[in-house]
Amino acid sequence: MARVGVFVCFCGANIADYVDVPQVVEEVKRIKEVKFATEYKYMCSDPGQGMIRDAIIQYKLTSIVVAACSPRMHEKTFRKALSDAGMNPYLLEVANIREHSSWVHQKDKKAATNKAMDLCRMAVAKSIANEQLHEISVPVTKRALVIGGGIAGIQAALDIADARIPVVLVEKSPSIGGKMAQLDETFPTLDCAQCILTPKMVDVASHPYIELIPYAEVLELQGFVGNYKVKIKKKASYVNFKTCTGCGACWQKCPVKVPNEYNMGIDKRKAIYTPFPQAVPNKPVIDAENCTMLTKGKCGICKKVCLPGAIDYEMQDEIIEREIGAVVVATGYDMWDPTPYEEYGVGRFKDIITSLEFERMVSANGPTNGVPQRPSDGKVPKNVVFIKCVGSRDEAKGIEYCSKICCMYTTKHTILLHHKVHDSHAYVFYMDIRAAGKGYEEFVKKAQVDTGTTYLRGRVSKIYKKGDKLMVRGEDAQIGQVVEVEADLVVLATAVSAPKDNPELARLLGISYDKYGYLSEAHPKLRPVETAKAGIFLAGCTQAPKDIPETVSQASACAAKVCGLFSGDTMKKDPMVSTINNEYCSGCQNCVKVCPYGAIITDEVPVGHGIKDLRTVAKINEGVCQGCGSCVAICRSMAITLAGFTDPQIINEIVSI
Amino acid sequence: MITLGSQGKNTFLEDVNLKSGANVLECYQCGKCVGTCPVSQYMDFPPREIMQMVKLGLRNECYMANSHWFCLTCSACSGRCPREIDIPAVMEAVRHLAIDENYINDSKKVKEIRKFHEIFLDMIKRYGRNYELRMMAEFNIRTRNLFKDMHLAPKALLKGKIPLGVKPLKSAKAIKRMFAIAEKLEKNK
Repeated sequence: MARVGVFVCFCGANIADYVDVPQVVEEVKRIKEVKFATEYKYMCSDPGQGMIRDAIIQYKLTSIVVAACSPRMHEKTFRKALSDAGMNPYLLEVANIREHSSWVHQKDKKAATNKAMDLCRMAVAKSIANEQLHEISVPVTKRALVIGGGIAGIQAALDIADARIPVVLVEKSPSIGGKMAQLDETFPTLDCAQCILTPKMVDVASHPYIELIPYAEVLELQGFVGNYKVKIKKKASYVNFKTCTGCGACWQKCPVKVPNEYNMGIDKRKAIYTPFPQAVPNKPVIDAENCTMLTKGKCGICKKVCLPGAIDYEMQDEIIEREIGAVVVATGYDMWDPTPYEEYGVGRFKDIITSLEFERMVSANGPTNGVPQRPSDGKVPKNVVFIKCVGSRDEAKGIEYCSKICCMYTTKHTILLHHKVHDSHAYVFYMDIRAAGKGYEEFVKKAQVDTGTTYLRGRVSKIYKKGDKLMVRGEDAQIGQVVEVEADLVVLATAVSAPKDNPELARLLGISYDKYGYLSEAHPKLRPVETAKAGIFLAGCTQAPKDIPETVSQASACAAKVCGLFSGDTMKKDPMVSTINNEYCSGCQNCVKVCPYGAIITDEVPVGHGIKDLRTVAKINEGVCQGCGSCVAICRSMAITLAGFTDPQIINEIVSI
Repeated sequence: MITLGSQGKNTFLEDVNLKSGANVLECYQCGKCVGTCPVSQYMDFPPREIMQMVKLGLRNECYMANSHWFCLTCSACSGRCPREIDIPAVMEAVRHLAIDENYINDSKKVKEIRKFHEIFLDMIKRYGRNYELRMMAEFNIRTRNLFKDMHLAPKALLKGKIPLGVKPLKSAKAIKRMFAIAEKLEKNK
């Protein structure tokens, strides 16, 4: 006969203030299988666990019920206490009398106590039918997939590869580098972005443990932590990278000119192109949408001039499959499109540009050789107005959140403007200056005091044209008056927004995303790099806007998580998985349809009774099964059992109240 | 409404910085000076706004403010300023520039304050020190408010706060000479 021990926790005052704990203890003692019941202030503390360990031995208990907080909180703690006393840890039941009773019924102490007693009775009834279970070992494929080749993906890939774990790095554009490759200098130290990024890009290309797959996209991810299978579509580049020497003859001769994405469309690139001189891999690709040979079958110049014969107009998209154990998602961000700001004349006035366009203009390798120019007449601007929070913190036209980096990059822009055009003056319209970071506030002071940037506190209300100048009108709340600035150039600090492909990617990977399209972390404070799906991690702006130091930190954190996951040859997994009784299974395969994890496949077994024919039955991959119980509910012949939640256990619970 | 960006270099800021020895650009508009200043509520632009007006180069608006006339140069503001800006020096610089360029707020209050300053300096010039009784009498006569604060006189007299006579300082002559030099410099400017 079962001998149950019940331990009721006060949780300080969290439970005891609203639930009469001694009464609960008295009530459970009346159940005949309960051989021992007690209460304690903090059951999770070491003395509390000690009480459990001692009682198991003293009263020869066969199952344990702890009535305390949510099992998500301390189930593992108490399971360990059971193991320490030599008991199978899965003989534990947790009755959640905190989240499910005391916290939600604070106004009615009597009802809370009654509910706590019910929960305890149910847990005791279930525990009577508990069985010994054992952890499952699952093999691990020690290879990581990194999606996105910006600074986040690069850092994560390098850190994982340095631990001698193979990495597959997938980048959708022809070169890695991401947004950081477009930056001129970085705040607050004014390091040259190229100088600190390109060596890392080269490291990625030459690292023996990194397989770089540029110009590619992830199509499909199947499997489970430690055992994923990924399908990657490698877009046709129409250039054989193996034979191409990167000489550049092709793009020099290509007659087709299209706006250059790398320079934010300020200048033109060719239809066959390398995105920028320091690109990795430094091999050109053909832009199939604009190449006249691929669209109309006319031209073919690049093929004629290519001495190694690397151009192949017949190249097709290629599907690559890899087995991997973990995924790091680092898809970065998009710049928010400021078109809704009609009052600023976005689209009407040429001399209004976005911050990334300004970044390209002041960049030494940019389209204007590092000197900003007015798009309208090419003149060097003297008075430049920077407008912050364009899209950010604007519920009507933009996004609710603060994009976090604009304050600092705008500060940087005013300093860079002063470096490039000495007699210029920068005006910044702002709502707040958010300079929380190492050396950030000092950087703002540098702009205000040394550079003489004028900060005007207020959102710009409108911009209109006066001659060849732009009149920028807004309030300066610091003096409580309306000001108008005569500007040669206006730079909009446009918001950071989630990559538009994120929702699709999230569905494909089976992870969640928030209302803005950012991928969701498992816990905002304590699990900021994990997703809710085991083995998938997040790095960089794909989770939320952040600057380069934070992005790199998060990427390295992902690498640490991946290395931790791959530290053993097998992974331990909870034994709460479904099993199928082949004798009952009719092979209807309804369970295959409802399984959200793709854990159920079909199998052929002999019909039996001396008949040699085979019949179809369901088969569960216990490595994939997450123990959700959907298959149990759908099974018409009651052939499926979920360990830890068997029919006798559930029925006992129901009968007990 | 104020238009910026058309006037070129901010010469006002340069003038104020040069004259005060402070760097007004250091001001980050926290407003601690305004909270500290015992007379900020009487100013039409409290010290923080004066600082911003200097930063924006609003010369005339700044000159016409009464703030630099109300400033007592008590230095409580600069004592508490987190950027350690000598705000009274900035106020004084604005006051001097305003007098030099003849832009003076002509409100009754400012006129009285200026008269007070003039009489005070006159006392120093005469005696090398302040002569309270005469100072009060002259101020009341020149502001045509004979009985102003008269009710306080008996109590103050009894406590010895208003001596009936004045004993000129030994160095009064030297102070007179200083005034003469200063006046000469002023004329030659």
